[in-house]
Amino acid sequence: MSSIKKEFLKGLWDELPPFRVVLGLCPTLAVTSTAENGFGMGVAVLFVLTLSNAIISAMRKIIPAKVRIACFIVIAASLVVAVELLMQAYTYSLYQKLGIFVPLIVVNCIILGRAEAFASKNPVLPSIADGLGMGLGFTLSLTILGALREGLGSGTVFGVPVVWETFRPAHFLVMAPGAFVCLGVILAGMNALNRHLSRRKGEPAAEPQNAACASCASCNLCITAKREE
Amino acid sequence: MREIVNMIVVLSLICAASGTLLVNLKQATRERIEQQVLVNVQGPALMAVLEGCDNDPIAERRTVGGVTVFPARREGRLVGVAFETFASGYSGDIGVMTGFDLGADRLIGIGVTTQTETPGVGTRIMKPAFLKQFRGHGLDAMALSSRDGDIDAVAGATFSSSGAVDAVRKALDVYRDIKPQIADLWPAS
Repeated sequence: MSSIKKEFLKGLWDELPPFRVVLGLCPTLAVTSTAENGFGMGVAVLFVLTLSNAIISAMRKIIPAKVRIACFIVIAASLVVAVELLMQAYTYSLYQKLGIFVPLIVVNCIILGRAEAFASKNPVLPSIADGLGMGLGFTLSLTILGALREGLGSGTVFGVPVVWETFRPAHFLVMAPGAFVCLGVILAGMNALNRHLSRRKGEPAAEPQNAACASCASCNLCITAKREE
Repeated sequence: MREIVNMIVVLSLICAASGTLLVNLKQATRERIEQQVLVNVQGPALMAVLEGCDNDPIAERRTVGGVTVFPARREGRLVGVAFETFASGYSGDIGVMTGFDLGADRLIGIGVTTQTETPGVGTRIMKPAFLKQFRGHGLDAMALSSRDGDIDAVAGATFSSSGAVDAVRKALDVYRDIKPQIADLWPAS
């Protein structure tokens, strides 16, 4: 039970997809012009990631190693089309706003990354926990980034006005450059906080790459390469 | 050999299962999606430009000369029509629903249906300050004031504004073309 909890929690801070592992940046930057869009995109990814992890993990023993990537992509693509159809049928306005980024979930590195690095090697329950954790982390990150950009860029969060009357919104934050600026500020803030936390514990400061390395599927390759050096 | 057969069989089975699932889902959601497109894309703008009608314009829509025309009736009598036209704005097409008052031969008003303009800048063409200029506008002088018309562009969004005006001008052309046929299509009930 504790291992399942650990798999779930790692997606929320240690391996938080867009901010710690810096994966899945395309939708992170593109759709977070409002908090609602970020949240919607996050939920779509959460759904696809959890189900794809569950299915791939359940089928991991019958999927031949040589065509595993093709199998993962087919499973992820089917789930994405399903999400797209359901969004069109039930949350059409969100579907309109997210546009091309919903089909692009297929090639989101988080989906394939978790399938390859985790679900294809672990039983179903930890895989679901991993997918839920990662998806939830992704949703929270996108919502926060979206809220930040929407709040400072248009003066609203989830469409509700949050600023005083004389506040002049910085329009550039809702456009593409604002996404990069906000992402950079959040990354810097998280790194500073992490460093501060580990200094207080008296540990050497953890380099941000280490987190990315931990979730990388080709870990063995890296270690072999290092030994050979 | 066994390995190759195994690969082919597993991958084919996964694809077949996915295909079956998606075909069924597509069929199950088709009607609902069609309804959603009409209600969400055209619906809000349609209701804004055909205000005061007491029929269901979406249910009574007809295609005339390649354009889907939505009728507005008041007490059974056809009082107006609305349809959607497109013109390019700053980024991509702007769809505009234009409502026409058949009795007075002028615009009832316009509403934006689809657009991908810059948020906060070009999207201000959807604000009442811009749209109200079209309310009750005649069929002539449909141009921006910089081009001898009487529509003031949104400051900083000239391309978006002229896109909207272009779409309305297209609607005027269509209106002149189809006007003679309109009365026959929706006879008074």
